[in-house]
Amino acid sequence: MNDIDLARERALRARGSVVDMAASPAGCHLGGSLSVLDILVAAHTVAESRPGVEVVLSKGHAAAALYAVLHQTGDIEEDPAPRYGRAGGPYTGHPSPKVPGVRFPTGSLGHGLAYAAGWALSRRLLGEPGGAIAVVGDGELQEGLVWETLQIVQAKRIGGLTVVVDVNGGQNDGYVADISPMTDLPARLAAFGFEVAEVDGHDIEKLAAVLVPEDRPKAVLAATVKGKGVPATEGKAASHYVKISPARARQWKAVLR
Amino acid sequence: MTLPGREAYKDELTALAALDPRIVCLEADLGGPSHPFAERFPERFLNLGIAEAAAVDIAVGLASAGLRPFLSTFAAFGTWRAAESVKLGLGYQQAPVVLVCPYGGVSGGWFGPTHHSLEDLAVVQSLPGVRIAVPCGEAETRAVIQAAADEDRPCYVRLARNEPYEAPFEPAGRGEVGWVSGTGGPTLLVSVGEKPAQLCVAATERRPDLSHAHLCWVDFESLSQAAAELADHARRIVVVEEHRAAGSVASTLALLLPRHEVHSVNAGPSWPSEGGSHDETLAALGLTVPAVLAAAGAGETPAGASVLGASRPARPHAPLTRPAGAPAGRPTPSMANPGATLSPTT
Repeated sequence: MNDIDLARERALRARGSVVDMAASPAGCHLGGSLSVLDILVAAHTVAESRPGVEVVLSKGHAAAALYAVLHQTGDIEEDPAPRYGRAGGPYTGHPSPKVPGVRFPTGSLGHGLAYAAGWALSRRLLGEPGGAIAVVGDGELQEGLVWETLQIVQAKRIGGLTVVVDVNGGQNDGYVADISPMTDLPARLAAFGFEVAEVDGHDIEKLAAVLVPEDRPKAVLAATVKGKGVPATEGKAASHYVKISPARARQWKAVLR
Repeated sequence: MTLPGREAYKDELTALAALDPRIVCLEADLGGPSHPFAERFPERFLNLGIAEAAAVDIAVGLASAGLRPFLSTFAAFGTWRAAESVKLGLGYQQAPVVLVCPYGGVSGGWFGPTHHSLEDLAVVQSLPGVRIAVPCGEAETRAVIQAAADEDRPCYVRLARNEPYEAPFEPAGRGEVGWVSGTGGPTLLVSVGEKPAQLCVAATERRPDLSHAHLCWVDFESLSQAAAELADHARRIVVVEEHRAAGSVASTLALLLPRHEVHSVNAGPSWPSEGGSHDETLAALGLTVPAVLAAAGAGETPAGASVLGASRPARPHAPLTRPAGAPAGRPTPSMANPGATLSPTT
């Protein structure tokens, strides 16, 4: 089995784990977790074979996807789903640094991108290989901190940074397009000196090829489907936060794609 | 020649960087057009521009990789503009970032309230695990920067503007009390910061029976250690600081010393929006020698107090704590509400 086939298998298993977390007493941010999941799998596939590459999930509300993927990569040994959101465990609704494989806690939007920029800059200052892949949401781009950071990345010529945007079109209160549309995004990012690529955010093979950090900063606009993989939730803004019964979880897992 | 705190910081950090390759110097457009660190170690100096929140986060990213970032900007911006970044990076993550902030208090003088910082300690004090230093003078500033570089801990360093200050006392380390004058008598003045130290020195010249101790490290852990020593020396403590009451050192000491009287001479509630020097702005806030003497319960009627009361929004210097648990019949000092001395009119 090649790396990409393995990654696809991991993604399918991780989707099941996310559905299990939605069936926890706390529920989970299901829609955004399923939209970003293939991106995370691809990013970790890149990081596994390149020393010093750090993956930062800046849209921390997709923690369920991160935990599920880190279980597939082996960073988290136990299945995190049975302990997700429960007292006594580290699996908070936004990533905690107590979780193996999580360097930077995120959740308040915009910060993860800036941490990733700092990590990428550290490679240059330390003379060490690597870089950072920052995974941000399209709604997250409404935060001023994102643009402060992009300004610094350009001004200080911070290379080794890939910013991948999970363009699922949704945010907490509805659709990005209705609330605060992000017009001309490719041009905006290009104006900050980023090499911009647009890809299918569920094509793990293409993602893995384009996410590799290089000298010039990259922005990858990954078109995704909120709730991807569970037919009942795909494309639905209402899938942002979901709590389901264990019986419903079994039904959804039976038809995962 | 004595260097002001800001220059002492730059010089000391540059010297330390020669020995420690992990040290990185970050500025946010307020470090001045020339910087000794930039001249000596240009590859480790980055002026990140006017973007404080991102600057703190980037510093956190560098610290996570094993570097030792020092980031400097004015206190108002380092604490409030970047407050959430400081909370999450220095607080939650305990990233060993050192935030060095001149323009503490009202040292910006005529720059006005946008550039004043009378609330910064409240912000940082509310974040467990972040060390806080308010050094006085060149030697103590250098000692603080050395300590911050040596230890793997987040740290906030509050400096003033550009005035040099020749501190008449030895630098106080973490948890230490810097004794300036006297160690006896029932009332002890405790100064935090350069101007409060000057006020207390002037006050003890007029009232030699008062003792004066200076504190440099004022995070909760440090104060917990220092409080025990303060408690041994006086029953009545008057904290003089260039900060508002909320989040003040006085309020922390009051929590730590429930059986002592802790009084506060602080910057009060007003927003000083007139021109003037640092000293004039302090006077407008009521941070004056007469106010210190009034809070200390001076036997004399402090000169200027009536002027203060008549023309300024004076603050009552009421005790922040009642002497809870004190035995009944304990001598009640006549100045239990020394604010009355100031005849507050508002």
